[in-house]
Amino acid sequence: MLDTLIAGLIHGNAYALVAVGMSLIFGVTNIANFAHGSVFALGTMIAWFLAGPLGWPALPTILAVVFATALVGLVINLLVVSPLIKAPPISALLATLATGLILDNVSQLVFGPETRAFPKILPTHNLQLAGVRFGTSDLVMLGVTVFSMAALAAFLKFGKSGQAIRATSQDADAARQMGIPVKRIQNLSFLIASGLGGLAGVFVGLFNSNINPATGSISGLTAFVAATIGGLGSIPGAVVGGLTLGVLESVGVFWFGDGVHDIITFGVLLLVLVLRPGGLFGKEPEISAEPLTGTFLGGGRPIQLPPWSVLALVAAGLVLPFAGGSYVAATGTQVLAYAIAAVGLTLISGSAGQIILGAAGPIAIGAYTSALLAIHFQLPFVSTLILGGLAAAVLSSILTIPVWKLSGHYVAIGTIGVGMITVALLRIAEPLTRGSYGLTAIPFPDVFGFALVSPQQQYVLSFVVLLLALLAVTRIRASHLGKAIAAIGSDPVAARSLGIQAASYKALAYAVSAFFAGLAGALLAHQYTYIDPTTFPVTMSNLVLAIAVLGGLNSPVGAVLGSIVLVGAPELLRVVPQARIIAYGLVLILIIRFRPQGIFATTKPGVNHAASRTRYRRPRWQLAAGAERSWVE
Amino acid sequence: MKAKYLVIAITAAALLGTSACAEDAANAEQPGEVVKIAALYPATGQYAEYGKMFEEGFELALEKVNAEGGVKGKTLDVVYYDTQSDAKQDAAIAPQIAADPDVIAVVGDYASGASKAASPTFQQAGLIHYAFNNSAASFTDTGDKVWSPAIGQDVQQAFTADTVAKAAKRIAVVYIENDWGKEAFGYFKARAEQTGTEIVYESSYLADSTDLSPILIPARDSKPDAIVQIGYGPDGALVINTLRDKLGYTGPYYGGQQLQEYIDLAGANAEGSILAAAFINDGVTDPKVVQFVEDFKAKYGKEPGGFQVTAYQAIIDLSHLANLTEPTRDGIFQALQTADDIPLYLGDGGTFTFNQTTRKADNILPVNITVKDGKFVRYDG
Repeated sequence: MLDTLIAGLIHGNAYALVAVGMSLIFGVTNIANFAHGSVFALGTMIAWFLAGPLGWPALPTILAVVFATALVGLVINLLVVSPLIKAPPISALLATLATGLILDNVSQLVFGPETRAFPKILPTHNLQLAGVRFGTSDLVMLGVTVFSMAALAAFLKFGKSGQAIRATSQDADAARQMGIPVKRIQNLSFLIASGLGGLAGVFVGLFNSNINPATGSISGLTAFVAATIGGLGSIPGAVVGGLTLGVLESVGVFWFGDGVHDIITFGVLLLVLVLRPGGLFGKEPEISAEPLTGTFLGGGRPIQLPPWSVLALVAAGLVLPFAGGSYVAATGTQVLAYAIAAVGLTLISGSAGQIILGAAGPIAIGAYTSALLAIHFQLPFVSTLILGGLAAAVLSSILTIPVWKLSGHYVAIGTIGVGMITVALLRIAEPLTRGSYGLTAIPFPDVFGFALVSPQQQYVLSFVVLLLALLAVTRIRASHLGKAIAAIGSDPVAARSLGIQAASYKALAYAVSAFFAGLAGALLAHQYTYIDPTTFPVTMSNLVLAIAVLGGLNSPVGAVLGSIVLVGAPELLRVVPQARIIAYGLVLILIIRFRPQGIFATTKPGVNHAASRTRYRRPRWQLAAGAERSWVE
Repeated sequence: MKAKYLVIAITAAALLGTSACAEDAANAEQPGEVVKIAALYPATGQYAEYGKMFEEGFELALEKVNAEGGVKGKTLDVVYYDTQSDAKQDAAIAPQIAADPDVIAVVGDYASGASKAASPTFQQAGLIHYAFNNSAASFTDTGDKVWSPAIGQDVQQAFTADTVAKAAKRIAVVYIENDWGKEAFGYFKARAEQTGTEIVYESSYLADSTDLSPILIPARDSKPDAIVQIGYGPDGALVINTLRDKLGYTGPYYGGQQLQEYIDLAGANAEGSILAAAFINDGVTDPKVVQFVEDFKAKYGKEPGGFQVTAYQAIIDLSHLANLTEPTRDGIFQALQTADDIPLYLGDGGTFTFNQTTRKADNILPVNITVKDGKFVRYDG
């Protein structure tokens, strides 16, 4: 047992070092930097290149890596994050996701995709304790963690720039008024954090011994969980969070096997958040509004569609697969399925203003429910489809209950956990779901006894479901219920003072969203005819959110456009296969940068003032109070 | 969006949908002077390394086929579709392949989950899906157009279990947590029970786990005669590196994969690993296989491994089948049902025949190999 604990501590230390940088950036910019994991992975690859093929010794390698990754971090801030600092944090978050995608794929192009051995620039297993060997490298890594934690703490407390960083993190507006060059401070924090990320990359490379350029996003996510457990923004918290996570994973896997890995990681996350909503070391967020809202509405010049054009678009949408052939139809069916999930998401993430980062969960539930009912009970597709949607709504709602007790960024982060846990549960529920074996021979959808086998027929089916979804969501938004939900999104404080229970309405809106996600899952399952837990990765959740954001979070029709761009485009970009994922990331960044309100903002500027993050000005009384970081950027 | 128009639109869509069902995208086959084999494979993404090896095999086979006159006088071509071995992309690209009348067969994909997403479309289109790398026993269940010449997991794992049984009575087994790994472990376990080998510890591991100490510590502490790993090369290297470097295990190891990557990643720790492979360029006598090895070395300057051979063989087999009948979808289907001398490059070479019930090649046996002085060599233990 002792050896398992030690192994866990060593691994946790690796998480901690990455988490420190994430926490620092979050503290200063209030942005969850999902590119950090990729910067860290890039650090590993550069270190491999310098110390491996080029044969550099340890110290120059480490220095060069820190310099290079710090520079990358600075460039990320200058080109991607900083221009969006006035935009809602959600756009910056998505932009960092896209940046991570680009970095991972560039790294793969430059260094090659294969897994390789990391050069042993420091001894990695020359010491032994209780049946576990470890090396000088692990001790140095621990030293680096402790030292960087202490140095950062001292710097933040006593250093002039450090104090400026803290002031900026508390209240960027106030800091600016006190003459602090906020931009420079943000640059500085990216430099430091990314340099630390690169440093972490070197030591984690030594620890893992086998490395490849594609591990960035996963390590980034785990480190983010570690930082959240410790309390986002707290440097000691990041370290404690990393070590805690490492030990708990190690012990949990020791007892239950590696199949429960994700349940442990994200279960710990949810448990900590429910017990201590601000994380172990963080302050409980006092923010009354969800800062990760996508209310891009204010800046948007809405595109108005005359009614007849709706018919024209529908007609065009229907003709397309027949004119374009099977390939267009099959791609179109994917576009439609994602659009259905994203249309549902506009209710909770658009109207209620609650970002959901775990859409893959309800999609998976819908897919499995529909597939299992069709396989075992030969139910007709129309009923399995609806039951799939209902199961997704009910089960996802139950799993999400603890999340509604949270506030601030933590709700969105909690939904990442719920999504991951859902898929992990499907994996271990093997008697029912066949777990990792996956479900094979899922029948093609049949409607009233007619099997839809051609891509065109499936396209039309999905098209009808999408139109129904659009109709339903549009009706809900126009109803009294929809207004109540929108009130929460616009101004939670005002909504609460009017007697609207924010958490309950959010839960309801989420259930409706999950229903549509479940429909999308069912459609995908019967189109693929094969599903297993890996069909529903975390990237699927990100994709659905990105689609909704791109379309203008508050616009169900926009979600359809978003899906065309984000699901259709990577297929179209197939002409440059090597670079298509990079191009996809670039497209995403450019759109977020130059049309951050989404392609298809539906609200006229100035009408929905309260929801407008970019135009809204802080009320005077709040300026006077001044101290807390408020919901106004 | 106005609700009224949506209602109209939905009605219209439903009507059009019903009428659309009547249509069917039946493509009149008008093959030109070139016939194509479509390859679903991962050129990018996490499996890109395997994709590269497949491409080497395909290209070499294509040169050979066309140098010897093509198929029934027509030039053969391989069209590549990068899927990242991702089910979503396989499903999306499959109809495009099925709609191309010049495509007479499909090979790939790397992962069975991805392949399975494409199979139904090919089944529907009457296009042979020749899944040369998908060894899952249930893989060909989709229909009579889905065939796999890969050595089945049932055969391979029973073979490995017998090898292990010769040297060990008590073993610890770790296997990768996916459809392939679980099925392979199932076959392994069944055979081990038959032969009386006791499995004293078993655990799966996730493909993206970076620290396997928590499952390997109890594996080591169960004091096994040998530790068996069922999975791929990189994770096989991670297992043996963790066992030898971090946990001080010195016993025998049955695991890894026949990839240079495995030897590179595990370094000295790879020495003595024993594993079953589809092919080893050590002691081959079949002249066509010897010729293949020479051609491969001449073109790429390195030794071929199992992945290049299976990819190579897939193209050779299909052109052989097409030459028996005619280079069309139906021609290949007919030939698959009758041919009894399909060229075999795996194992010890020769020819093979398909089991017409399972559409799998269940009479191909793997060979045992081990790592010696940083190279794979035949193992006769």
